[in-house]
Amino acid sequence: MKKPWKIVGRHVVLAILAFIWLIPIFWLIVTTFSAQKGINTNHFFPEHWTLANYHQLFFEPDSAANFPAWFKNSMIIGIFSCLISSCFVIMTAYAFSFIEFKGRKGLMSFSLILGMFPGVLSMIAMYFILKMLGLTDSVVGLIIIYSGASGLGYLILKGFFDTIPVSLHEAAKLEGASEATIFYKIVVPLSKPMIVYTVINSFLNPWMDFVMVRLMIKSKNPSDWTMALGLFNLLQRALVNQYFAYFCCGGLMIAVPISILFIIMQKFYVEGVTGGAVKG
Amino acid sequence: MKKIGNYFKDFGLAIAHGDIWVKLSLIIMGAGYFGRKQFMRGILMTLLQVGVLASIFGVFAPYMSKLNTLGTVQREEIFDIVTMKKTVNNYDNSLLILLYGIIGILVIVAFIALYIGNVKAVYRIQKMAEEGEHINSFVDDVASFKNDRFHITLLTLPSLGVILINVIPILFMVCIAFTNYDENHQPPTYLFTWVGIKNFVNLFTTSQTITFGYAFVRVLIWTLIWAVLATVTTFLGGILLAQFINHEDTKLKGMWRTLFVITIGIPQFVTLLLISKMFGDNGIVNTFCANVGILDFFKHIGLLSAGDAFIPFLSKPGWVHVSIILVNIWIGIPYQMLVATGILMNIPSDQIESAKIDGANKFQIFWKITMPYVLFITGPSLIQSVIGNINNFNVIYLLTSNYKTANMAMANSHAVEPDLLITWLFRLTNEYSNFKMASVIGIVTFVICAALSLLTFSRMIGGDKEGVYR
Repeated sequence: MKKPWKIVGRHVVLAILAFIWLIPIFWLIVTTFSAQKGINTNHFFPEHWTLANYHQLFFEPDSAANFPAWFKNSMIIGIFSCLISSCFVIMTAYAFSFIEFKGRKGLMSFSLILGMFPGVLSMIAMYFILKMLGLTDSVVGLIIIYSGASGLGYLILKGFFDTIPVSLHEAAKLEGASEATIFYKIVVPLSKPMIVYTVINSFLNPWMDFVMVRLMIKSKNPSDWTMALGLFNLLQRALVNQYFAYFCCGGLMIAVPISILFIIMQKFYVEGVTGGAVKG
Repeated sequence: MKKIGNYFKDFGLAIAHGDIWVKLSLIIMGAGYFGRKQFMRGILMTLLQVGVLASIFGVFAPYMSKLNTLGTVQREEIFDIVTMKKTVNNYDNSLLILLYGIIGILVIVAFIALYIGNVKAVYRIQKMAEEGEHINSFVDDVASFKNDRFHITLLTLPSLGVILINVIPILFMVCIAFTNYDENHQPPTYLFTWVGIKNFVNLFTTSQTITFGYAFVRVLIWTLIWAVLATVTTFLGGILLAQFINHEDTKLKGMWRTLFVITIGIPQFVTLLLISKMFGDNGIVNTFCANVGILDFFKHIGLLSAGDAFIPFLSKPGWVHVSIILVNIWIGIPYQMLVATGILMNIPSDQIESAKIDGANKFQIFWKITMPYVLFITGPSLIQSVIGNINNFNVIYLLTSNYKTANMAMANSHAVEPDLLITWLFRLTNEYSNFKMASVIGIVTFVICAALSLLTFSRMIGGDKEGVYR
């Protein structure tokens, strides 16, 4: 028979683990209410509680911190990159999965090799190119960076497409449907969960990215920055004692929508991440 | 090789056996289509030819002619006393020469391929006409892009994006590795030029003035240790946690999972920066450790000397390496837990049942059935995640952005102890404008990743398993 202490022990272990995992997040949340602007190194909980940091975050942009502008920039970049890269990924995955054309294997191998090159390095060259085009420090330049090469990320979705029975495809062809019709009328509706997963990923990728922005944006004007760059800058030595609570507020504000999205998407995520792997 | 031979043989045949229209299309690319009354296609092809040739001679040729030297005329400003204005001479910009040179070469290669393909296509149409087959009208051609040539419709834009954002920059940076482009040779003020494999030699050199060899070995070893440890710890941890949560005795499975998933929802640049402040020299964790006596305990067992006022979690070699691995476990396990949950749900339960009947205990089941199954499925993706960790920029850079090294030989080559190849490369460019060495390091990283990928390559493409599950 099951021993009750074993079951209790199991839950105690889980609770301890969850506690460890949630400490930093809990600290983030309580610090947003701290009246002390810098880092409180002596106490976990703030000594005086206030909502002033949130007011500052939303309504008092200054020369170092401009959360509304950062949020707007990140949102625009996220939405447009998401639209473009979702399309690219879906199109590439479909072509590689369903259409037998000359040079298909070659292209796929080539794309794998390309993917192994460190992205940071090619982005350095991209910086020069964008500079020539006058697109550095601009939202457009970042959208190009995030979405341009997104076609390379087709593997997971292709893995899913590969599980759609090929007979379905052939039957539709016999009925006289063109490839374009099959794409819109059969494959896209069948793959809704995976497409939702792709879309969300394409949005989160620019939303959570730090390194590209750091390379591409050299502007000293905070209203040109995105959230990643702005929040990073607040923790520099000269600013951290004035803006740590502000940083925590900002961090929490961008985390809330994503966390909710993640919790809802858990199921899709599990399917999406494993779908490609399981199906080889 | 045979394929390449055939490619040119077909081209020769087309010229030899083609009629006047095919031969004309050697000069005017649209001519062959005019001959078969495909006027629209002919006009478009001719326009394309004119446009490409104009751009090659008008835009790219002046740059390409200077590719061998990357420019010879340095920028000079002359102050004119009469007009009181500065005038600038007609100087060369090495950066533009290299960039336009590369793009020009790509355009020419693409144009030659198009040219040969065009002649062959025209010849094919000639044959079809001779045999009285239907020749596509322009409307048919357009329609074919929704059908036979749908892959072209689908892949054109993504491919263009990849060429612009990936291929050209990669070629460009590979070239930079063979030049002397660094802080002392920055266009437009200064020129840079080809130096052969000198930079590669420097990377493996350790001498009085050059310490790249010293730093490189250390950074490389740490990169490899990090990649393996980071992958293995999070992978095993993720499976164990998923097993633990999925166990039949666990109540409220969804809630536990959600608690861990919340940590993925916060962007890494927020959590990592936050953690770097928590574990800072004067951070809250150090305050806590001093208060409960952990600091004294470490001093007692000799991990810290008596004079240390804090635990250098993120500021001393050794400490920082351990901290990074631990923080990465914190970051990585929830994600791996999600992946593992998906895989564990699909484990064939009959195997586990029969093992149970045969009297296997839990550990035997885990190591003999669960793990082999999980490894079988995730094997290729494991190597992929080792590669991902070699290029894992965020964890290292955000945790150690304020790290200062005490090792002069490292500092001399602008590396710090916790650097991976990728963060070293980043520091070299972003803070020191040393593009030549950054490119060399990038190429070395690529070679390492490519070698690792060869292990999975055959499984992903060569041993085509696409059809098996259909």
